[in-house]
Amino acid sequence: MKQHCRQEKKTFWQYFRQNWVLYVMLIPGLFFLFIYKFLPLYGTLIAFKDYNIFTGNNPLDAIAKSPWVGFEHFKRLFSSDQFFKVLKNTLVINGMKILWLFPVPIITAILLNEIRIKTYKAVTQTVIYVPYFFSWVVIFGIFYSLFGSYGIVNTIITKTGGERIGFFTDPQVFRGMLVFSEGWKEVGYNTIIYLATITAIDPTLYEAAKIDGANKWSQIWNITIPGILPTIVLMLILKVGNILTTGFEQVLVFYNPSVYDVADIIQTYVYRLGIGQMNFPLSTALGLFNSVVALILIVSSNAVSRKTLGRSIW
Amino acid sequence: MKNKAIVSKKVGKDLSEKTVSAIAYVYMFLFSLLALLPILHVASKGVSSGEFVTAGLVRFFPRGFQLETLKFIILGTGFLPAMKNTILITGIGTAISMVTTILTAYPLSKSEFRGRKVILFLYVFSMIFYGGMIPAYMVMRTLGILDSIWACILPFAIIQFNMFIVKNYFEALPSEIEESAKVDGAGDLRILVSIILPMSTPVISTVGLLYAINYWNNYFHAMMYTISESMRTLQVYLYNLINTSSEVAMNLASGDGMTNLTSAGLVAAAVSISVLPILVAYPFVQKFLVKGMTVGSVKG
Repeated sequence: MKQHCRQEKKTFWQYFRQNWVLYVMLIPGLFFLFIYKFLPLYGTLIAFKDYNIFTGNNPLDAIAKSPWVGFEHFKRLFSSDQFFKVLKNTLVINGMKILWLFPVPIITAILLNEIRIKTYKAVTQTVIYVPYFFSWVVIFGIFYSLFGSYGIVNTIITKTGGERIGFFTDPQVFRGMLVFSEGWKEVGYNTIIYLATITAIDPTLYEAAKIDGANKWSQIWNITIPGILPTIVLMLILKVGNILTTGFEQVLVFYNPSVYDVADIIQTYVYRLGIGQMNFPLSTALGLFNSVVALILIVSSNAVSRKTLGRSIW
Repeated sequence: MKNKAIVSKKVGKDLSEKTVSAIAYVYMFLFSLLALLPILHVASKGVSSGEFVTAGLVRFFPRGFQLETLKFIILGTGFLPAMKNTILITGIGTAISMVTTILTAYPLSKSEFRGRKVILFLYVFSMIFYGGMIPAYMVMRTLGILDSIWACILPFAIIQFNMFIVKNYFEALPSEIEESAKVDGAGDLRILVSIILPMSTPVISTVGLLYAINYWNNYFHAMMYTISESMRTLQVYLYNLINTSSEVAMNLASGDGMTNLTSAGLVAAAVSISVLPILVAYPFVQKFLVKGMTVGSVKG
């Protein structure tokens, strides 16, 4: 075997000449990766420059030709109230989502697993996954029909003598709308991963427990939950790791100026600063700050997951 | 006495089982209603007559059935051009993404492939570090592809996560067949096309669907990278329609008094018709989408 290995050892060029087709296959992917993922990394220099888009032949060329300003934009950013507001909103909204929504797919999967009538199980599963495949714009349209000022919910409220609630305009309830619509879209589909883990639990464990006289509750508590605990922890770690980057398209579609105070998150602010106000450097600085902190969060959460569970996303 | 204890124990067990089971059936029933009723409500509103819609009398079934609103949405609001753009983007985009993804996943699935670690690092890094909205926008502007379907395709030409799903699947395939083909003198491309791909139809379908849904549903990139009205995608069109529906309805009402075209009815009809393709395809492709969540998503 060792002999065989030594024979296989070739220089890189020998290997390359024999397997050049494999390298050619990588070209399209690397091409797109370079253009859309790595060229923008060069673009982050905008955050350190007095960027004028018209100083060069094109927007990227203009980066090189604009003068350096060091951390000027970051200083301005960190001294603005707006920065802390959007940072807080991001953490609060995504934190609320984890708090309220994280347990739901777990409970759903455990209960779904108790259903013995196959057709009933299949039909309900199929139905609860559906909203996941709708776009945020469609979800917005549906929620607008339900909760808009003349939507069915407000119609029922006014008919029963209550007062209209501005679900999309009242800062007191808007975050609740974000949490609820996120739940409506994602919770069903998120049960799949837990259901798959539950299905993989050794059935003899349950049989042994039954013989020992354990009732259903204690079976769930002592077998099912410990069985899916690693998956639960992994999912939680991932959720926390992504706390700065998720929820952008949803907020972008759902929010409006009357709820900016409670709903404007980092990414939506990056968008309005950059595309709305054309303040490219400040917007890039905020985006870069967000990316760096998000990277640290994701790398460390992955490390935690690898250490504690022996599982990681890469 | 002893006997009695056993009996009561048995009854207790049955009771807990029955309770959990009852809770499960009721819970799943309510959950399904929660998913289904909003969809039914919107679909009903889109085909109900204007007076019922305005009076808030439409619940989960159409009242005063009419197709005027749907007809107006399809023919009078820029729906068809938007649909055409989205179909083009989804079709061309999915094809490009699949070719790119498969071609990338295959070499990376070979453990002896030299340079594998470096390439994998590039893909992982680009997955967890985002250059930012403005830098990406500047790249698109420099390339001169803003306001074209390519601007909606490029961001998703290869989604790292999808590539890893395919790569992991390839890795799990038995290597004997591949090796014997190699002995027979088949080249890598040939092995990929005539041996690996036929064995990988489940994962190819799953990932293909994930890409297609992603292209179909994308709003932000289409909104950010396209300007002209003729380049509007379905999602951009829908968003604009929802936000301008009251003005549209008001203009119509002051015109020829088509009473069925209410603001709420227009939104409902547009939403219904936009999700129709997904709802029609869903039952047939559901099993692949469910697999997508579990196949190779997490490294063991």
